[in-house]
Amino acid sequence: MEQSKNVLIIVPAYNEEESIGRTLQSLLHTTKASKYNIDICVVNDGSKDRTAEIVQSYPEVKLLNLPYNLGIGGAMQTGYRYAYESNYQIAIQFDADGQHNNEELNTIIEPLKNQEADMIVGSRFVLPTEYRGSSMRRIGIVYFMYLLYALTKQKFTDPTSGFRAINHKIIKEFAHRYPKDYPEPEVLIYLHKKGYIIKEKSVKMQARQGGASSITPFKSLYYMIKVTLSIIMQKVIKE
Amino acid sequence: MNITILSFAIVIIFLFVVIESVRRGILETKYSLLWILTCIIMAILSIGTTLLNSLAELLGIFYAPSLLFLFGLLFSLIIIFDLTRRVSQLNHKLVTLTQDFTLLKQKLSEQDKIDNEGSQE
Repeated sequence: MEQSKNVLIIVPAYNEEESIGRTLQSLLHTTKASKYNIDICVVNDGSKDRTAEIVQSYPEVKLLNLPYNLGIGGAMQTGYRYAYESNYQIAIQFDADGQHNNEELNTIIEPLKNQEADMIVGSRFVLPTEYRGSSMRRIGIVYFMYLLYALTKQKFTDPTSGFRAINHKIIKEFAHRYPKDYPEPEVLIYLHKKGYIIKEKSVKMQARQGGASSITPFKSLYYMIKVTLSIIMQKVIKE
Repeated sequence: MNITILSFAIVIIFLFVVIESVRRGILETKYSLLWILTCIIMAILSIGTTLLNSLAELLGIFYAPSLLFLFGLLFSLIIIFDLTRRVSQLNHKLVTLTQDFTLLKQKLSEQDKIDNEGSQE
């Protein structure tokens, strides 16, 4: 009997030629040793560098090559649609820049397997870890935590974390509809409104291994205002 | 020159441009309707001085032609809003189309891989 497809790791990548190779190498290493049946898929979001070429040199990795840049929301949704059409049970978002720790994959897969929650968000702040972001970044994260708490009455200590796993129900939901602009915090509101169970698990994260954050200090205030607006809009948006 | 006559002249020229654009196929008919409606209402308001004056009096406006600017501005806002809505719809369609295209391309290359492996055996 053919084994049903298990877990899909979705790696969104935009101009990540410096770090994508290393990230994939270590991911492949982990997934081969894992007890779960894990596939990896990279969504190349219209990169202008050699990202796609590098991904192609790993034949086990599936490449979804977007012809032009859709932004993180559109790119992730492409991955979720692929997961839905290929009938995966669990999908994991994993950043290409090497911030996320592949040893933590089990930490976020297990609670989904045990059906404790519909979505697991890997958080740097549930327990104290060595993670040190810039102070501006930490102020932003705390701010969003309180904003989301005011709107959902649930505490998300790391609302912008891009390390998260979802089950088949939410894969279907996201394949149909996924917030475009600032998906990480918006998704939390969206799913909370629909009554799904979201839980956080403590994970370790490294500082990025290469490439640059899309959020520069100069843009952070502007970013915070925009995200605040889209989070509040997400709260009032019609289904 | 009187402001009412000037604005009437501008509106008529504009109406002509709109109709000509539709005739040449540059502007789609369904999008031209709002523009034509705007032109007609503006034309009536700018030439019908008595209508404009009584409307201004009704609304408590001392200088009647300023009502023309108000209507002009309002119509512009409505049309711009209508446009941003259409742009949003188009954007949504484009994103879905791009994703469909990418997923199909992936399926195709996967199929090619399987075929190649089959032919090598």
